[in-house]
Amino acid sequence: MSSHAATAGQIDHHHDATTTTGIPNKKLFMWAFLASDCMFFGTLIATHLVYRLHPPVGTPDPRDIFAIELTSGSTFVLLMSSLLMALAVNSCQKGNVVTTRKMLLGTIVFGLIFLGVQVYEFVHFVHAYGLTLSSSVFGSTFYTLTGTHGVHVAIGILWLVLMYIRSFKPADESDGQGWIMRGVLHFITFAAMAVLSLYTLLALVHGYEDGHGLAYFFSNHFMAFFGCVALLGGLIWFAKPRGPVDFGEANAVDVESMGLYWHFVDIVWIVIFPVVYLLEYVVLP
Amino acid sequence: MSAPATVSTDASHAHEGKFHVFVQLAMILVIITGMELLVIYMPLADWLIITLLMIMSAVKFVAVIWVFMHLKWDKRFCTVLFVIGLILGAGTLGALLLLHGADAARPVGPAYDEAA
Repeated sequence: MSSHAATAGQIDHHHDATTTTGIPNKKLFMWAFLASDCMFFGTLIATHLVYRLHPPVGTPDPRDIFAIELTSGSTFVLLMSSLLMALAVNSCQKGNVVTTRKMLLGTIVFGLIFLGVQVYEFVHFVHAYGLTLSSSVFGSTFYTLTGTHGVHVAIGILWLVLMYIRSFKPADESDGQGWIMRGVLHFITFAAMAVLSLYTLLALVHGYEDGHGLAYFFSNHFMAFFGCVALLGGLIWFAKPRGPVDFGEANAVDVESMGLYWHFVDIVWIVIFPVVYLLEYVVLP
Repeated sequence: MSAPATVSTDASHAHEGKFHVFVQLAMILVIITGMELLVIYMPLADWLIITLLMIMSAVKFVAVIWVFMHLKWDKRFCTVLFVIGLILGAGTLGALLLLHGADAARPVGPAYDEAA
């Protein structure tokens, strides 16, 4: 496949002549890991389906619990994050650092929205329906499967944030390790922004659900909202251009390996969505 | 001096082409997801709905690994490696469902009597 690319006269990002396989080691490692993760998710999905085949007495009807429109929305968000991730890899292979950063940021935001929806869904299931890890076999297998996927998404977001911050490493190393301290502060700001924005968004949604308006939200969660705005300002400050960076086309394989992981998270959801959610509306008892 | 410029232009065209492929594929995936949602409310036989859901899910799955995950452009060994894991994972899933789907595997006891 790579020889085809080479004959077209383009830079070949899919071939590494220095390895015996001709595949960059980082990419090969990621494919091997994803192959093993297939088996991991295969067993989790099988366990969920096996227990759904023979539900014990008192198992809640998932159709009464699921909000399929919300789950479809989060599926759409994850698909769009996959698109942005693919575009980030494409930009990095072109050496376009600014676009790569924008696409990485978009992927992070969409990933956070997906996680936020999942947190909202879990909290709603626990409080409105009493569905917990130990309340029923359905609760155990459902939370284990979708929760494991959620943890994969969270790890992916962490990786994306680290790669985004890595893209600011200056080419000029005259200030020693100063950029590391700036990177750590950048990461702390990012983490605080992610947690606080999720909290603020969920507070807004719960406020609306309880029949409260924006005035109630601002009177009770103004500090959280103000914190989000302040942290956003901090992120914009960190993103200010400070000269040439040590990040570009040479890092394309790193971004691509991360992209492979992110797309894998997406394909796992492509299987979970119909099997765990949609099938409930068709045949499962 | 002209050779590098040609390489750069060709590479740029290739990446622009990929951009359009990625965007078009994302739109197709969204449409298929919408169709999955519609299909469960259609007055069709259960086996047909399940078959349609599985086919649409498989199409989305293959499209993402083939295009977004670059298997189309990568060396064949990456595909082989991933497919080995996929076959083992799908095989485990299928075997467990067959084992536990059999009548002999139906659980018995007070917790299951009423449900049966």
